[in-house]
Amino acid sequence: MTEMIVVVGAEFVPGAPPDQLEWLQAEGQPFPPEWFADETAAGAVTVSTFRIDPYPVTVAQFRDFVQATGYRTDAERYGYGLVYTDRYWTEREGACWWAPAGRGVPVRDRDDHPVVHISWPDATAYAAWAGKRLPTEAEWELAARGQVLRLWPWGNTWDRTRANTAELHAGELTSLEQWKAWWLDVHARTGPVPQTTPVGTFPAGVSPAGCHDMAGNVYEWTASTASLYTVEQECDATIRSVLGRYRAIRGGSWMNFRYQVRCTERMYGDPDGWSNFALGFRCATDA
Amino acid sequence: MATIVLSTAWTQGSGSKFECASGPLGEVLKRFAADEPRYRHRIVGADGEPYRYYNVYLDGQAVLRRGRDAVLVGEDSTVHIVPPLAGG
Repeated sequence: MTEMIVVVGAEFVPGAPPDQLEWLQAEGQPFPPEWFADETAAGAVTVSTFRIDPYPVTVAQFRDFVQATGYRTDAERYGYGLVYTDRYWTEREGACWWAPAGRGVPVRDRDDHPVVHISWPDATAYAAWAGKRLPTEAEWELAARGQVLRLWPWGNTWDRTRANTAELHAGELTSLEQWKAWWLDVHARTGPVPQTTPVGTFPAGVSPAGCHDMAGNVYEWTASTASLYTVEQECDATIRSVLGRYRAIRGGSWMNFRYQVRCTERMYGDPDGWSNFALGFRCATDA
Repeated sequence: MATIVLSTAWTQGSGSKFECASGPLGEVLKRFAADEPRYRHRIVGADGEPYRYYNVYLDGQAVLRRGRDAVLVGEDSTVHIVPPLAGG
């Protein structure tokens, strides 16, 4: 078993300062300002010392849990999982943690990859079995960047070879059309196979705390309910509609551009059994 | 007229609010997909039926997936269509 990392408690300001949000717009990336406004920093929080796994939970680790408990994931019970096809997100028959691309698409030798198709209840069930829990959003961010703000776990200079993002596979991406062209090519060759990499593949992308894969590879569930750092913050209307309903997801995934895998980037997932082929988790515990 | 609200990530700065005729939610969504073909692939599947995996909030209240199509969208209602993965 991999030893958990102790992250010393600290007071820090989670989220992105205004100049980072201005930088995003100056970068020419395709998303509007409202889309990132939910990560606008508002003040310091105090996080107690905690432990966190250095890697996301792997397929092999999740298999141990299933074999020990007989647990069936939500995707297995529903009989389908969400994958991105050559059209859009699709409910794919048979897609689940052990068949991430769905029935009839062979995906082998992935024991050391992060497990995917994991719903929030699935993740919390595994964590409880392992004697752990999901990290809070603040814990996750502190483990990813430390007290001092940085854009990515390794620093402020983008390097596509330090993390598993779409830019690792496709080269620099600046538009959704480029992303679609890359994915359509992958899909035509392999089907909707998640482009995950074995955990710990990018030691040069490690965070100050020593955590791997905190930028990209898989989206990671947290324990925290979706909320803004300050209720007055204006943001995208659909994001506002999930506040108090969804759970925070951090880190971006292999599907994303560099902007979606920043340490302060926030996403939110439906916790009522939904998952997809790029969604996993890592665990934490109290110190 | 009712209002449909999409995420700004979908609309890419081209306006995220759309007027639509009232009626049963399933019909409202299909009509919207027909009227706004650039969003069709995000709203309905290859079979022309609305996807089940996104969430719909009608005047701020979550609409359960079961029986969703028959829920009535009123003249002054606002419908938020939210993917299961929001933000980013």
